[in-house]
Amino acid sequence: MNIKPQVLVIDDDAVVGRSFDRVLTKKGYEVSTALTGEEGLERMETNAYDVVFTDIQMPGMNGIEVAEHIKSKCPWTPVVVITGYGTEEHEAKASVLGVKGFVRKPLTPEIIESITLKAMEKQAEAPEAANEVVERAAEEVAVEPELNPSTLRKAGTVAKNIVLFLASPFIALGYVIALPALGFYMIAKLSWQALRTKTAAS
Amino acid sequence: MEAIQARHNLADMTYINPLPVRIWHWVNALGFVLLVLTGAQIRYTDIFGVLTFESAVKLHNWVGFAVIANYFVWLGYYIFSDRITNYHPVLDARKFATNFFQQAQYYSYGIFKGEHSPHQVQPYDKFNPMQRLAYQLIMLTAAPINFVTGLMMWDTQRFANWIAAVGGIRVVDTIHVAIFILFVFFIFVHAYMGALGRTPITHYREMFTGYEEH
Repeated sequence: MNIKPQVLVIDDDAVVGRSFDRVLTKKGYEVSTALTGEEGLERMETNAYDVVFTDIQMPGMNGIEVAEHIKSKCPWTPVVVITGYGTEEHEAKASVLGVKGFVRKPLTPEIIESITLKAMEKQAEAPEAANEVVERAAEEVAVEPELNPSTLRKAGTVAKNIVLFLASPFIALGYVIALPALGFYMIAKLSWQALRTKTAAS
Repeated sequence: MEAIQARHNLADMTYINPLPVRIWHWVNALGFVLLVLTGAQIRYTDIFGVLTFESAVKLHNWVGFAVIANYFVWLGYYIFSDRITNYHPVLDARKFATNFFQQAQYYSYGIFKGEHSPHQVQPYDKFNPMQRLAYQLIMLTAAPINFVTGLMMWDTQRFANWIAAVGGIRVVDTIHVAIFILFVFFIFVHAYMGALGRTPITHYREMFTGYEEH
């Protein structure tokens, strides 16, 4: 079983999925993407997700319909609607469906990360949360707590970051001393290999 | 139309430089230029005659304090932000050396052939290996050293013990000027590299908007 928090992003614009992937993968999430609502729902049949992001306007099934399907099959799964088109009608309908929130384009890494954390926090607080999700969260803590992003934050990431930050000029000085020597070595090695190849050919 | 624009923004841009970084950058740029100009005026009074020595010293001191304060804006932002990873060292020396030489090859050859940079700019990894090394040394070594040596020369009485500890005022002055020369060199290289985007002004525009344009 995969112990990383699972995120599904449904958007017909592949760049949106890649943006989520780029931001969240580094933070310890596993991101899956789907280009249509139908594809997203298929994925949900084979995998359990901790949060689903869906674009509101897509060819075929739109985001509201996707949210309807998700809420009918997995009501515990938080759904966040991505929209550049936010209308009051859409938002009212989505709220009735229990959509956890809206996020408007353009998205920044901070928005992506904070909305994911917020959606997952709400999920953890929800009493009707699926046992599977709770079990998985428990396993995350028991097996590899450092993979849980919120635990990461609370368990000394800042301290580690600062230590690395302060160590960086010293390590950089080491590189400055070592790299010229290494460069000469690499040039010499390449020259030697080229010479041998030329000699062998003749 | 707005929706299309929003989609275009997301598709073609990555948010790399948040507002505090951009404010710091431009205040720092202005401060550094003023420090270099007033520093040159103080050092080479016989060559430049724009300001009197006294005015140049006064302006240099005030701008120096502003740049030091601004440095702490930068430091505070990065220390309390996840983006601190941009300044983290790469601990895998083999990987770093390989990427470093790839980047050097790009700058010395590939860029003139129209190739793409081997490094992809990302919010948590915005510097290529050569930039990373340069900025670690400039921001965490050269700049603090110049701030401290500047402070020592600002009030030699107050910092007399520090000055004596490093070998006297000549040593302090030499270090300060040597780093000043490094910064002059850096400003020219930085401005030139800034013009190597998709168009000559792309990188400059990015430093105002915060968005890296692909």
